[in-house]
Amino acid sequence: MNAKLKETILNPIFKGNPITVLVLGICSALAVTVEMKGACVMALSVIIVTGMSSLVCSLLRKTIPNRVRIIIQLVVVALMVILVDQVLKAFAYGIDKQLSVYIGLIITNCIVMGRIEAFALMNKPIPSLLDGISNGAGYGLILIVVAFFRELLGSGTLFGLPVLSALGYTNNGLVILPPMALIILGCIVWVQRAIQKDLQEK
Amino acid sequence: MNTNSNIYTVIYTSVVCVLVAAILAFVSQALGPRQQANEKAETISQILTAARFAEKAEWDSRGNDAVLSFYKENIDSAYTIDATGTCNGTLNVEDAEIVTVSGLKKQNYLIKDAAAAPALPVYKFKNGVTVVPIYGAGLWGPVWGYIAFDKDLKTIVGAYFDHESETPGLGGKIKDDPSFRESFEDNQPDFSSENIFEIVKGGAPKGEDKKDLADNKIDAITGATMTSKGLDEAINTWLNAYKPLLNR
Repeated sequence: MNAKLKETILNPIFKGNPITVLVLGICSALAVTVEMKGACVMALSVIIVTGMSSLVCSLLRKTIPNRVRIIIQLVVVALMVILVDQVLKAFAYGIDKQLSVYIGLIITNCIVMGRIEAFALMNKPIPSLLDGISNGAGYGLILIVVAFFRELLGSGTLFGLPVLSALGYTNNGLVILPPMALIILGCIVWVQRAIQKDLQEK
Repeated sequence: MNTNSNIYTVIYTSVVCVLVAAILAFVSQALGPRQQANEKAETISQILTAARFAEKAEWDSRGNDAVLSFYKENIDSAYTIDATGTCNGTLNVEDAEIVTVSGLKKQNYLIKDAAAAPALPVYKFKNGVTVVPIYGAGLWGPVWGYIAFDKDLKTIVGAYFDHESETPGLGGKIKDDPSFRESFEDNQPDFSSENIFEIVKGGAPKGEDKKDLADNKIDAITGATMTSKGLDEAINTWLNAYKPLLNR
């Protein structure tokens, strides 16, 4: 594997993470991080959508008329999202019910469109696919970290299994609400900036 | 080729749209029956949970087929009634025909319209338990559920509620908190009072027995005032519509 491809895959996971560095996709990160299960499915769905739509847009990149490229991208993304939604409805009904609105909202997730605009339209299909997948994974990673704290402190459980609640922990209602997700997210950004000195403004 | 010409742009977008539409139509056709089967089994498992045959999680783990066959084995009759309580339709038991959530939504409009003739479903099981649905608006979206009555059609033996987008951990507790559902048990709607059934705030101070509340009152969920209110309204509207059946 050459160095450039490796960079494409590894960069979005930490150094150029779409949520903590590019600050994209915050809205859904606040909404679907109440429980681990939902966050995991959302992460997987976003990985599939970003990967597939980057691949398709990259394949089409030489044919897409420049003036309507955003619309074409939107159509491709919407197609992928509806496909994911339909498949979940047929094969994982319980999880689809839980995520219902948010699956549809992947369309508006800036990461998907952002990566197509910034990467897929200028690169070959395979690197684009990998870029989409790893950006989705970078997003998913943050989602799961936030969900870990929110489910643990808010409901005392992990994946619905009692952890803290078994020890007589009183659930913290604030953690369940979106503001706490923003605070946890802020803490993650803080930690990352402390480690990654080049992100700090002079 | 000039990809920026008007003709190219129009043709390109048209082709993309038609292609995408075709793919979606095909997928929807191919997965449709499976999705409907899922929705039906989900609804039936909610009805069975309300009637206290087993917990919801158990139905989910048993799978669609087991839910359907259990329903068919235990259902006595399923039919619809109008505003006067007269039977105006039967639901095929062999096919496990039921009214799904979208059907309840439609009935919810008809209930509020005095001139309309609603077809409200009633599920009567062989052990005498009768289940009726409710539907209404929560805080963020619709809430619905099923209330099961004992043989006398007065005492509630169980309830199950579901919602589309209530806040997990707060309003979402109408579905997720078993103790909320259990608090409906052994209560009785009171058709002589203004509020047939009430979900009250501060009904059960800490440490006190919830049974201190009147039979048609239960304690609301802390931090979910609007959801509790919406559910209260849904229950009152629908039980009122079922008055001819339940208040004999």
